[in-house]
Amino acid sequence: MKGIYEGGVFRHSPLYIPVNYLRLPFLFNLFGEDFLSAALYTGVDVFAAYALVRIWTARQRKQTLSSESTESKSSLLIIIYTLNPLIILPSLARSTSSVDNAVLLTAICLACEWSTSEVASPAHKETEVSSPSLTDKVDQATPPFALGALFFLALRTHLSIDALILVPPMFMLIFSSPASRLRRPGPFKYAQKYDRPYSFLRQDFVEISLFILLWTALAALTLPSLTPNPGVWWYFFTEMFDHFRPFFLMVFSLHLLLYVAPICIKFQHDPLYSIFILIGILATLKPYPTLSDHGLFVGMWVVMSEVHPYLRHPLPTLLTLLHSSLLQPLFAHLWLTHGTGNANFYYASTLVGACAGGLGIVDSIWAGLRIAVEKGESRNEALEEKEVVTQQ
Amino acid sequence: MLKTSLVIFLLLFNSVFCIKQAAEEFEENLSLKSLRDGRVTSSFSFKTLLRDAAPRDPRTLALDNDDSQHYTLFPLTLGQILRQYAITELHLTLNAGKWNYESWGYPDESGVGVGAELWAWMADGSPSSIDERWQGLRNALAGLFCASLGSLDEQRTTSPRQSFPPQGDLPDWGLPHELRHASHASEHVCTENLTPFLKLLPCKSLSGLATLLNPHRIFDADWHGIGLHVLWLPEGVEVRLNVQLVSDPLRISSTNKQDWSFHSLFDRKVDQACPIAKTSRVAVELPSSGFYRVHPEPLEIKDGQAYYNLKIANEAWNIGTMWPTDFEYPLSKPNQALVPFSVQRSLRGSTQDRGELSIVVTNHQQNTLQLRYLETMPWIIQFYLHTIRVHSDGVLKNDLISNISYVLPVAHSRPATFESILTLPGGSNLTFTMNVAKAFLRYTEHPPDAQRGWDLPPAVFTPLLQSRDDSIGRIYTPSLLVDLATPDFSMPYNVIMFTCSVVAFIFGSVFNVLTRKFVVVRLEPTEIQDN
Repeated sequence: MKGIYEGGVFRHSPLYIPVNYLRLPFLFNLFGEDFLSAALYTGVDVFAAYALVRIWTARQRKQTLSSESTESKSSLLIIIYTLNPLIILPSLARSTSSVDNAVLLTAICLACEWSTSEVASPAHKETEVSSPSLTDKVDQATPPFALGALFFLALRTHLSIDALILVPPMFMLIFSSPASRLRRPGPFKYAQKYDRPYSFLRQDFVEISLFILLWTALAALTLPSLTPNPGVWWYFFTEMFDHFRPFFLMVFSLHLLLYVAPICIKFQHDPLYSIFILIGILATLKPYPTLSDHGLFVGMWVVMSEVHPYLRHPLPTLLTLLHSSLLQPLFAHLWLTHGTGNANFYYASTLVGACAGGLGIVDSIWAGLRIAVEKGESRNEALEEKEVVTQQ
Repeated sequence: MLKTSLVIFLLLFNSVFCIKQAAEEFEENLSLKSLRDGRVTSSFSFKTLLRDAAPRDPRTLALDNDDSQHYTLFPLTLGQILRQYAITELHLTLNAGKWNYESWGYPDESGVGVGAELWAWMADGSPSSIDERWQGLRNALAGLFCASLGSLDEQRTTSPRQSFPPQGDLPDWGLPHELRHASHASEHVCTENLTPFLKLLPCKSLSGLATLLNPHRIFDADWHGIGLHVLWLPEGVEVRLNVQLVSDPLRISSTNKQDWSFHSLFDRKVDQACPIAKTSRVAVELPSSGFYRVHPEPLEIKDGQAYYNLKIANEAWNIGTMWPTDFEYPLSKPNQALVPFSVQRSLRGSTQDRGELSIVVTNHQQNTLQLRYLETMPWIIQFYLHTIRVHSDGVLKNDLISNISYVLPVAHSRPATFESILTLPGGSNLTFTMNVAKAFLRYTEHPPDAQRGWDLPPAVFTPLLQSRDDSIGRIYTPSLLVDLATPDFSMPYNVIMFTCSVVAFIFGSVFNVLTRKFVVVRLEPTEIQDN
């Protein structure tokens, strides 16, 4: 086990090793050089898109939408996710982040499934028509979803340590509902879905900690490789003076944790929304981001369709993102291949990318809070013109 | 009573003086050879033999009661270093230039890799670890030779045992012996290294062959290098100091002749041999064809070599060779190769993040040749072993490479060691290619002139001997220059400021939104009109 990490060439989970063995020599003649890995990555992306659609369906279940529009929206979502260049390019590069995304979306999807499948259970109890055998059945049938969600979350944390900050909102999601409650904010609503919710937690915490014990991704926190990426860390630590390096590594790592509690508290009524915001923060500020992290943020943004009318500046955000996504490959080429630019050009484009991520996060938070002030059916057009919603 | 005390006294006397009687011998040799391209190679060798001495057992390092060191000819400063770190075998070479095997043949001293190269065999078993002793050794030698050997640190240290076997014997202490090897291609040899080198000689440069070591001429030569070799042989510990240089008489002289003499090559003559040298000999390899005259008359001519004994009194030795005709540069390719194989190594690819290492080996013989190929690469170049392709005369033949052993590099600390065996069919051309990635370094890890690039150490090829007849040793390739991507060195503060600003902007905005409360403000009609 220690041997595969010797030299620091390979810093991923050992689970990724079989993926590389898919390029077996005898398949060369049959399917071309890496048909199997291409098929695998296509499958991973399609599966991730499917999980995203399931999340969207779970979130929209309580909203009044005709099944026809749900169908068309689902196919739109699949198209937006699978044809997003931010998702396709990492998959073409056989980046492990595509697999990471699929695992994370599976975890969220399973958590949503668990929450929604349980909605019926308290209703049965209220009307007292549920027989003991039915509740037993529910209790026995549903834990696999929660276990599955926790298992995939543990797997994702094992594959890449940054998912650690998604653990609190994921638990909140499991214990509440994925349905959008942004319009009706309130305290965290604990859905009584399982009689002994903490009995499975204990064994799963053990499971999680066993996975985390490997800490393969801990290496990422010391930033051993300074290969350029779309994030903000690499150039900062390339230019950092040696004696300040450990200090700023600590600051940058801990800084990511600072977002978890406030966002989970502010959006305690809608944990899926806090997951969405934290995914955006990870994509912008994590140590080794890839394009697919931004792609996942965009995909989740599409799922949160109810806040779109309340965004303050969606167009500038989109244009900033477009600006940096077009400039990044251009400047990387100018610097590394063509030799006419230098590192500062590429660094500037990653800074623009970080600004785009920041604009997207801040705007999403604003829209998620702003939507609650909407009065709904009782308002009339004339009154709306005389009102200004603002923050104090 | 008197008798017994006399016996004891004699015993004591014997015990004290027997140690001191360990005979020391000094020999000096110089061999000169005219090369195909008109150049002349001179190889000086100064041997000091400490008879019946043995390297220090590393286990005695704990005791701190080493034998007292009394030398007459053996260099004391070097002896102290060898004893302090219990070095069994040591080789240090400092060279400048590229040894051209095709036109110069195989050198008298095999260590001709460019830059500094240091390797030592040490036995384990001392209280301090091998790496601590290795560090002490290179720091001590750096001080002794005024060279930057301290930079041969763990980032350059490897242990390729197969390619650098001990040249002497290893004492049978029942302890495992370890090799440490490091090379630094951008280290240059200069006068400041030659001066301490001459101080290790018993006659310094006052008499004997060392008189010829004129820094103005040595460092003007097309190729020059100095070396230090310490071996343990059955007869004792041998220290061999050698200087090799390839001078160009055609460049020095005003005529178009390749005539050379001590005076023309070194601007000096040998007035007398070193008085304490056991032998002081000059060997001149005679050209295989043409008219020439060797002067003065040699003492004896044997196997195409003219020998001179400098111990025989003479006015002043100015040995040389003269040709009646002008030198004609051989424009056609020589039909007989001087070395059994030749190697070209290059790093291809124009990008600063990846490239391709390419090696072309040509077998000049008719029989199959097996070579041990060693690459010791700093971690800044990372190999992709799965992209290794071996072509023989243009045909893909991956079975010609075998016995691959690879020690992975560790970023910021350890170099990679890649060793394999290449099989070359007779007269064939073998091409080895492998993709490599170039690392991105921290701002402080770049050398002062970062845009110049990094010198990569030479690769080493050792033929696996089938017969003892054509025994040649290691062949070094020239070093490579790799261009790594550089950050902007002028703006660490700007980068820290910009990045921190963006992070603070995101952090501030997020918390600004999170900590505020949304309210509905009803506007009066007048306010609407104002707006």
